Amino acid sequence: MNEVEPIRLEEVSAGYGQRIVLDGLDLGLQPGTLTAIVGPNGSGKSTVVRAMSRLLPTRSGVVLLDGQDIRSFGSRGIARLVSVLPQSPSSPPGLTVRELVELGRFPHTGLFGRLGAEGALAVESALTLTGLTDFAERPIDELSGGERQRAWVALALAQGASTLLLDEPTTFLDVRHQFEVLDLVASLCKSRGMTVVMVLHDLVHAANYADRVVVVDDGRIVADGAPSEVLTVELMRTVFGVAARIFTDPESGRMICLPVGTGPS
Amino acid sequence: MRSAPSFAALTLFAGTAAAALFVLHLGLGTVWIPPDRVILALLDRPTEPTDLTIVRELRLPRAILGLMVGSMLGLSGALLQVVMRNRLAEPGLTGVSTGGILAAVLFLAGMWGLPHPGRLLPFIVLAGALAGGIVVLLMTSVRGRIDPLRLVLTAVIVNAILGSLTSIVMLRAGEALGGILPWLIGSLNGRVWDDVWLALPWAAVGIPAGLLSARAANLLQLDDESGRALGLPLQPARVTLFGLAAVLAAGAVSVSGAIAFVGLMAPNAARAVVGADARRVLPLSALIGCVLLLAADLVAQSLSIKPPIPSSAYRVGLPVGAVLAVFGAPLLIILLRRSIR
Repeated sequence: MNEVEPIRLEEVSAGYGQRIVLDGLDLGLQPGTLTAIVGPNGSGKSTVVRAMSRLLPTRSGVVLLDGQDIRSFGSRGIARLVSVLPQSPSSPPGLTVRELVELGRFPHTGLFGRLGAEGALAVESALTLTGLTDFAERPIDELSGGERQRAWVALALAQGASTLLLDEPTTFLDVRHQFEVLDLVASLCKSRGMTVVMVLHDLVHAANYADRVVVVDDGRIVADGAPSEVLTVELMRTVFGVAARIFTDPESGRMICLPVGTGPS
Repeated sequence: MRSAPSFAALTLFAGTAAAALFVLHLGLGTVWIPPDRVILALLDRPTEPTDLTIVRELRLPRAILGLMVGSMLGLSGALLQVVMRNRLAEPGLTGVSTGGILAAVLFLAGMWGLPHPGRLLPFIVLAGALAGGIVVLLMTSVRGRIDPLRLVLTAVIVNAILGSLTSIVMLRAGEALGGILPWLIGSLNGRVWDDVWLALPWAAVGIPAGLLSARAANLLQLDDESGRALGLPLQPARVTLFGLAAVLAAGAVSVSGAIAFVGLMAPNAARAVVGADARRVLPLSALIGCVLLLAADLVAQSLSIKPPIPSSAYRVGLPVGAVLAVFGAPLLIILLRRSIR
C-alpha cells in the first residue's frame, strides 16, 4: 500500500439522532478500484457513503481524504475530491441536462466565478463520456430513467473529482438501464482510473462489477474482499438470511450468486 | 427539446416591452403626451414648455417606481420560489408584505397617536415588513434549518393572523378608512420623487445581490444531498436568499402598498419560457415584473373611476393592485390545482 488511499475511515461511528448506525468502522479504498458495499436493509451501507463525504458528520473517529483529515477541508474542497450521487436526486422541472451538468463545476468556480475554458471542457467531456451529447438541451424530466441517471453521473463527472460515490444507482431502473449505468461506471473506473464506491442492493451486480465487496451488517464490516471470496453460501445465510447457490456461469465465466430463499414449501 | 427563442432574444424583447410601456406610461394622464414628445422631454429638449414639468416632475417618479417595484417584486418572488421549492411562493407568503401592511394600517388608523398621513409611513412599513419576515423565519426554522413545507404552512397561519388584525384595526379606524383602502389594495397613484428616493437604496442593494445569487439558487433547487455534495452550505444559502427576498419585498411594499401577484406571475412566466436555470429565471423574472406592473398601471390609469362620494369632484385612478389581482388570482388557482394534482 504505497499509494495514498483516496478515502479512509478510521474507527468511525455515525448515526441519526439517538440511533448509532455505524459503530467503529474501519475502511480504506484502493485508488482506481471499484468497491461495492452490500448489506441488508438498515445495515448502514448508505451511511458509510454519507460519512465518507461528510454529508453526515461522524460522532467519533476520523475520515481521511488523500491522507488528510476531512475536517481540514472546506465543503467545496471536499467536493473537488469526492463526487456523490445520492439515492434519489431531484432537479427542478425544466432544467436541461447541460444546465445540470454545469452545476458540477460549482466546487471549482464558487458563487460568482465563470465556467471558463476548463469548466466548459469538463462539461463537454462529461456529456460525451455518458453518451448524452445529443440530449444536452433536453429537460431532465423528459428523459427515461436510465438517461436521467446518466445525467446525474455526468454531473458528478463534471465535478472533476477522482473518487465517485454512488448510493444505489440502479434501484429505480429496469434491467436494461441498470446495466447501462453499471457499464458506464465500470468503464469510468477502468479507463479514467477513478476510485468508485457503489452501494448496491443487487448481489449479482456486486459480484459482476466490483473488484472488492464490502459486506456491512448492523453498522460493522462483516466481510471484505474479492467477490469470489466474500459471497459465500455461508455469508448469504448468516447476513442476508437466505439460502443461495453460488456458481460460475459456463458461458461468461462470471460468478453468479443466486439467492433461492427457502423456496416454495 | 426546448424550441429556442434564445435567452438573449427574450431579454431583448422584455426589455423593449418595458421601455415602450415606460414611455407610454409617461404619456398617459389627464393630458396625453405622444411618445416622441415624452422622449424629447426626457432628453431635456421639450417641444412644449409644459411637457418638461408634466413628464419629469409629475409622471416620471411614478413610472420609475413602476419599474423598480415591478422588478423587486418579480425577483423577490423568484428567490422565494427557490428557497421554498414551491411555485406558489411570493412576497405575501413570507409575512413581509402582510407585516408591512399591518404596521401601515395601524399607523394610518392613528392607533399610535402619530401624525398622519406623513412621511413617516414608509419607514413604519419597513419595520413591519422586516418584523413580519423575521417572525415567519423564526417560526419556520428548527435548529437552524428551514423546511420548505413548514415555511409555507407558517406563512399561511401568520398571514391569517395579520390579516384579521388588519381587519379589526380597520373596523375601529372609522374616518381614516378612506385613506387606508387604496393603499391596502396596492397603488402607485400620487407617488412623487421622495418615494423614489426611499425605495432606491433597497432596489440598488437588493436587485444586484439577488441576481448574483443565481448559482446558489440553482444548487438549492436540487435535492438537499446533491446541493451539499457539491459543496454548498445549504442553510446559510437559504437564509441569505430569504433575507434578500425580504429586503426586495419590503422596499417595494413601502412605496406601493400591497401589490400582490407580480411576485407570483413573473417567476412563473419566466420559468415557462426559459426553464429552470436561475441564471436566466432571476433576471427575466425582474424584467417581466417591470412589464407586468407598468402594463397593469397603464390599464389602471386609463380606467379612472369617479368615486360615488358626494363631495368628490375629481376622478380617481384605479389602484394597480386591483388590476393585477384580476389577472393574478385565476393564475394562482391554476397553479394550485396543478401542484395539488
